[in-house]
Amino acid sequence: MSDVAARELRIVGFLCNWCSYGGADTAGVSRFKQPTDLRIIRVPCSGRVDPLFIVKALLNGADGVLVSGCHPRDCHYTDGNFYARRRLEMLKRLLPFLGIDERRFHYTWISASEGGKWQQTVTDFTKRVHELGPLHAKKEATP
Amino acid sequence: MISQRLREAIAGVFSEVDVALAYQQGFDKLHATPCFMTMPEEINKLIWNPLCVHNLTSYLPSLKKKKVAVVVKGCDSRTIVQFMQEGLINRENVVIIGIPCNGVISVNKVLHETNHEPIEDITFGENGEITVKTLKGEKTLLLSDVCPDKCKTCQYPTPIVYDRLVGDPITSDKSPDSVYADIKEFENKTLEERLQYWEQEFDRCIRCYACRNACPMCICQDSCIAETRDPHWISQRATLSEKFMFHMIHALHLAGRCVECGECERACPMGIPVNKLKRKINLDMKELFGYEPGIDPEDKPPLYTFKVDEVTIKEHKI
Amino acid sequence: MADTGFVQKEKLNDFLNELSKDAVVYAPCLEGDTVIFKAFDSGTTLCLDRPANNPPKLVVFPQSETLFSFKYKKDAEDPRKMSVELEANTDFPRAIIFGARPCDAKGFRIYDSVYIDTNTPDPYYKGRREKTMIATLCCSAPSPGCFCVAVGGGPAHREGSDVLITQLEKGYFIEPVTEKGRAILNVPRIEDGEQYAEEAHKRQLESHDLVRNPFAEDGQPKISRALFDLDEFWEHVVSKCLSCGACTYLCPTCYCFNITDEQALNNGERIRSWDGCMFSHFTLEGSGHNPRPTKFKRFKNRVGHKFLYYPEKYNGVIACCGCGRCIRHCPVSVDISEIVSYLRGPRFEFTNEPPESMGTDTNSQEQKQ
Repeated sequence: MSDVAARELRIVGFLCNWCSYGGADTAGVSRFKQPTDLRIIRVPCSGRVDPLFIVKALLNGADGVLVSGCHPRDCHYTDGNFYARRRLEMLKRLLPFLGIDERRFHYTWISASEGGKWQQTVTDFTKRVHELGPLHAKKEATP
Repeated sequence: MISQRLREAIAGVFSEVDVALAYQQGFDKLHATPCFMTMPEEINKLIWNPLCVHNLTSYLPSLKKKKVAVVVKGCDSRTIVQFMQEGLINRENVVIIGIPCNGVISVNKVLHETNHEPIEDITFGENGEITVKTLKGEKTLLLSDVCPDKCKTCQYPTPIVYDRLVGDPITSDKSPDSVYADIKEFENKTLEERLQYWEQEFDRCIRCYACRNACPMCICQDSCIAETRDPHWISQRATLSEKFMFHMIHALHLAGRCVECGECERACPMGIPVNKLKRKINLDMKELFGYEPGIDPEDKPPLYTFKVDEVTIKEHKI
Repeated sequence: MADTGFVQKEKLNDFLNELSKDAVVYAPCLEGDTVIFKAFDSGTTLCLDRPANNPPKLVVFPQSETLFSFKYKKDAEDPRKMSVELEANTDFPRAIIFGARPCDAKGFRIYDSVYIDTNTPDPYYKGRREKTMIATLCCSAPSPGCFCVAVGGGPAHREGSDVLITQLEKGYFIEPVTEKGRAILNVPRIEDGEQYAEEAHKRQLESHDLVRNPFAEDGQPKISRALFDLDEFWEHVVSKCLSCGACTYLCPTCYCFNITDEQALNNGERIRSWDGCMFSHFTLEGSGHNPRPTKFKRFKNRVGHKFLYYPEKYNGVIACCGCGRCIRHCPVSVDISEIVSYLRGPRFEFTNEPPESMGTDTNSQEQKQ
């Protein structure tokens, strides 16, 4: 137990209610095997995701953040994910400027039927964050 | 003299306005200070020289219902354009008195050059030479050496928007490529170096919010999420992560809106380079969307809009 | 034992390392072009040439401190019941402030009246204050904005200091002022200062006359109550103020704070953190009413607190030490000494007839404050 707990990292996922959360649900219902590092926060739309959510998560202990919404042109609110795309791209470019590896943050589009894609995304992203290791290792060592 | 012509220009519009914003001498020879003139006899206090560093347009949103005349340099004029884009001022209530500007001083850089000796006197020559007198003697500096970084790469020495122009228009002789050269150079550092840099800088922050209050585009002011308890974005702890978070709030709320007047950085009493983050975002906005804030009043800030097909944004693979 | 000490210039760092052995030494250090008070260690660059940007008040009155931590616990027998456990710590490490300026040291005396010399002393402030020794460096020249002599201080003023240090050609002359300060003479690497005493005392007097005195000739500010209560006066002199907290947070005599509970799940801490009267939130009441709704009223309070209310309460002591930081570091150069000097007169020269455009419609002016 303790061995597994030590190796688990903290990944926060912001998933839109209409597509990606459904996609994750599809993966779960289909019993697709997924890593357990991810903690999902359901949001009404990827357009609801303020880039500050991601920064706050990364500054306060998360090792990685995943945002997923409906495919472009498929937004439940018509254009929420179009706004999200610009904001998230801006943040993706800003993170390395702050000294945070941009690979710790990923945004993508997954529909409610794409349980397989969800499984693949979570697995690959978790693997990548594990390769990068904990973000706050230094601070945790010296409390 | 430009000062005299400026006084005349303000006297000419004085009857039309409730208040005129200009500069007067500050508490010592090295500082100018904003002055709010409401009576014609006050016009004589007015000065114009490279000490006039402040962006006076910062006061405009708070004076929205009044008729205001404001003295504006090239860089300051971008703020007005951005205000117009966002509907923060009534353009017809503002009389813009533009001044083509060859650069202002950075008080900190002058003090650095003079070993922080109190300045007894300072005079400005025709060709950008500055003579500074301290108790230790006289020293001649060049404006190009002691100006803020924004002046070194200034692309808009002449105001973009104005009602009266005092002086002849100046065209920039600085390469547009130089504007973000420092940002690109910073990106050559390793990730660890960058993180260490920001941690060291932000650790000095005392959360006095001078950067926020001096920023013309920070319009939330008393409703700033850095101070609200609900939502509770950041705590009152003086820890590095809370200070870091405050600066991220400031930077991200200015994404694609920052006119790079540098007031945040100038206002910081602890010498934190707070404008750098916003300029990095501006560079990205330029590369991604070809957008520059404060240039065209009809434009829309890039994060307030979108294209269905974003040719510049590639899908990310894991 | 000698009465005074001396440390050679080149041995100062060694001396500070000696001091660091049984106390945290806070000293003005250079970071970039900014001088800040921080814990001294081998990696820091000492800078004694000019006053630090921030005062050393953070040593005794930190920007934020935990008053106590709390834990909610569920009762195992009855899950509806919660008990709370509190834990407070008022045992603080020994600290030395090295290189404070006389104005900074005097600032602590202003705090003492409020936090210690009352019926209910503040255990946190008192705990830190008693463990802190203040070694003050005399000023050899005034910095821009300084006006200590106008508020009862001076470049070699001793009030609030435990030790007075005078910089001489070859090193530092060290003179205990209080019993607590005498301990510094026992630190290794200190020489007998006897032979330097005369030179030092001469040096201490040198810069007194260089400091400006913006107030009355008798060296004490006088305030006309009639003018002080005139709204138009304040509207006129502080229209350029940005309402930020740089002046209060950099002030060695500003001691206001905020108390908040910072909680996550069942654990939390009660935090005391700096707050300032220049912020509108400072006086905002739960009902939404704000008794100081405008920056004019807030600035009036800042000046009033320092030059009227505090002196009325504490034997005429002015709660301003004249360090000039609020003037030097104000983004728009608001000059408190100038404002107080205006207040001497029964009437302010050019607000005889307040212009009509001012004083009306203050709401719209306040949008940005």
